[in-house]
Amino acid sequence: MENTVVKIQDLVKRYGDLIALDHFSLEIKEGEIFGLLGPNGSGKTTTINCLLSLLSFDKGRIEIFGKEMTPVSYDIKKDIGIIMQNVAVFDELTVYENIDYFCGLYIKDKNKRKKCIDDAVKFVGLEDFVKFYPKKLSGGLLRRLNIACGIAHKPKLIILDEPTVAVDPQSRNRILEGIQELNKNGATIIYTSHYMEEVEQICTRISIMDKGKKVAEGTKDELKRMIKNTETIIIELLELPDKAYREIASLPHVYDSKFENGKLSVYCSGGKHNLTRVLEVLQKNELGFGRVYTELPTLNDVFLEITGTALRDKED
Amino acid sequence: MQVFKAMLRIIRKRLPSAMIYIVVFVVISILVTNASTKDNKFEVTKLDICVFDEDDTPESRALTDFIGKINDIAEIENNRDVIIDSLYYKRVNYALIINKGYAEKLAAGETADLFGSYHLDESYSVVYMGQFLDEYITSVTAYLTMGKPIDEAISCTEETLSQHTDVDMLRVDKGGNSHYSVDFAGYFQYMPYILIAAIFTVICQVLVTMNKKDIRYRTNCSCMDSSKYTFQLIIGSGLFVIAVWFMLVIIGAVLNGEMYMGRAWYAVINSFIFSVVVTAMAVFVSSFEPKENVLNIITQVLSIGMSFLCGIFIPMEVLSDGVLSAARFLPAYWYVRANNMIADITPFSFNEVVQCYLIQLGFAVALILLTLLVRKVKYNSAAISTNVKKAVVSD
Repeated sequence: MENTVVKIQDLVKRYGDLIALDHFSLEIKEGEIFGLLGPNGSGKTTTINCLLSLLSFDKGRIEIFGKEMTPVSYDIKKDIGIIMQNVAVFDELTVYENIDYFCGLYIKDKNKRKKCIDDAVKFVGLEDFVKFYPKKLSGGLLRRLNIACGIAHKPKLIILDEPTVAVDPQSRNRILEGIQELNKNGATIIYTSHYMEEVEQICTRISIMDKGKKVAEGTKDELKRMIKNTETIIIELLELPDKAYREIASLPHVYDSKFENGKLSVYCSGGKHNLTRVLEVLQKNELGFGRVYTELPTLNDVFLEITGTALRDKED
Repeated sequence: MQVFKAMLRIIRKRLPSAMIYIVVFVVISILVTNASTKDNKFEVTKLDICVFDEDDTPESRALTDFIGKINDIAEIENNRDVIIDSLYYKRVNYALIINKGYAEKLAAGETADLFGSYHLDESYSVVYMGQFLDEYITSVTAYLTMGKPIDEAISCTEETLSQHTDVDMLRVDKGGNSHYSVDFAGYFQYMPYILIAAIFTVICQVLVTMNKKDIRYRTNCSCMDSSKYTFQLIIGSGLFVIAVWFMLVIIGAVLNGEMYMGRAWYAVINSFIFSVVVTAMAVFVSSFEPKENVLNIITQVLSIGMSFLCGIFIPMEVLSDGVLSAARFLPAYWYVRANNMIADITPFSFNEVVQCYLIQLGFAVALILLTLLVRKVKYNSAAISTNVKKAVVSD
């Protein structure tokens, strides 16, 4: 049976009258890449801060590695690594000195630390830049340094708080690959983001948060099964008479449809051969069509259906 | 001691800026010390005079010889352009022409048109030579009137004018005592400026860097005890401050030419206490996490402002009562006041010196308490701003 690494029970955090975390519970197993997904202000960072005992909370209990987490739980903290959205390094220290400083907060033994630093440098591919100062590094290299500083002490639990915000696609992919590699090496990962594609790509289990509450939790397939939509068919048409439109809307498993700007969208829930049936209606009515494609539901659709608002809308 | 080591590395990067202040201070102190030493001495100044003797008589030669005894005779070509160039470039201070008929006129007691000259207007050499020639001629004329022959009148005049008075420079009594002279007190008087500049330049910047929000967040997440972290910051800051203070104290002893003795130790203690106050000020300012350019402005305003208001750059006796009343609310005022007492510039009172020390320490304690308050308010306001941000999203 897998060990529970993080257990949050009934967590409540208030800021005056506002409830930032509303009876939030969570359980993360060893070896998972656990995604905390939610719009800005949904309570992801508050959860992380409570988890790290950087914020006090009004109610609930947090256990990490089976022990209660408190501000002085240094035996727990030594096995936690944190990688934040902002690059937190000293401009006055070189790449090596920066990693040495943050690794040294956890590991006292000089020889052991040296090995850890070398491993971290190798892991993020900064071998050629160890004597560089952060100001001389590009944005992507800085992010890698930020990661190296967070993982050099080889933590068992790594928390990544939106590490890909304002990162170019190439660096983003490298970061995501790195996270998966860390996980393969045995680390349990908590990954917070409002980029659902990333969470969908790397996370083994996902919790969706909104207004301080957990609105859904499971694997990406489990989450997608929670919603009505299983398939969206999109067909480009020059025209669509009302008769044909009504015929399509009344097809079995079609629960919604719309025709806008020469594009017909048909929303299906379950069933097989939905596309064939829609095309048959078009042929019967002698209607020519252009591109035809289908879309599977995304986590955004899951969020939209559960909360009634799109993730992206919330961010804006 | 990971934090301590990182702090020293960052201090090392900032050290050149602080050293500029210290080196400039030491150089100025050396110059001031040398300049003040010269004020105590007097030596007769000799002028470079060139004499063109157009009369060429025993009387005129006697005058030329006598001028040569009390000044330096310079020989240049008797050409107007050459003479003017020599005066302009200060190769000679005065060009005297003994006119033809000098001896005859002198014997006849006539004093008009005896001499001609080339000189630069308004130079002190003109006044000096004018007075000298007047005295010489007046004296010779007087002896002639007394019935002495010309050669005797000249020798009597030379004898009279050769008499000189020993001059000792007496300075105005500004205070000072055997172990702590006024010059030495001057060195300590300027020390607050350099302490503020050097400590602020390094400590403030280092503390701002070490306590940067993201870095502090990452440190707080680590397994390092926050009290150990703070302790290492204090050790790092303290070590730098003591090093700067100690260096200035040693330089002071070297410039003074002797080790600290007697009353001078009070000044050493005074400077140490002021270093503590400046450190507390630096910690207080750094708690606002100012940007580097803002910090530079704060450093300049504090160091120069206090220096002008509290009697560091301008002696306290010159400052108005209004300025001094305002300066009482600044720690540098009490430093300078103690320093003046130690140097006997104002009457020395051991109790008052100790009182000045205690007031300075009071400033340090108040600044530390204010720092704690600011940190607490900042922490609370950070929580409130998070609250507001979240409230907007939730609505």
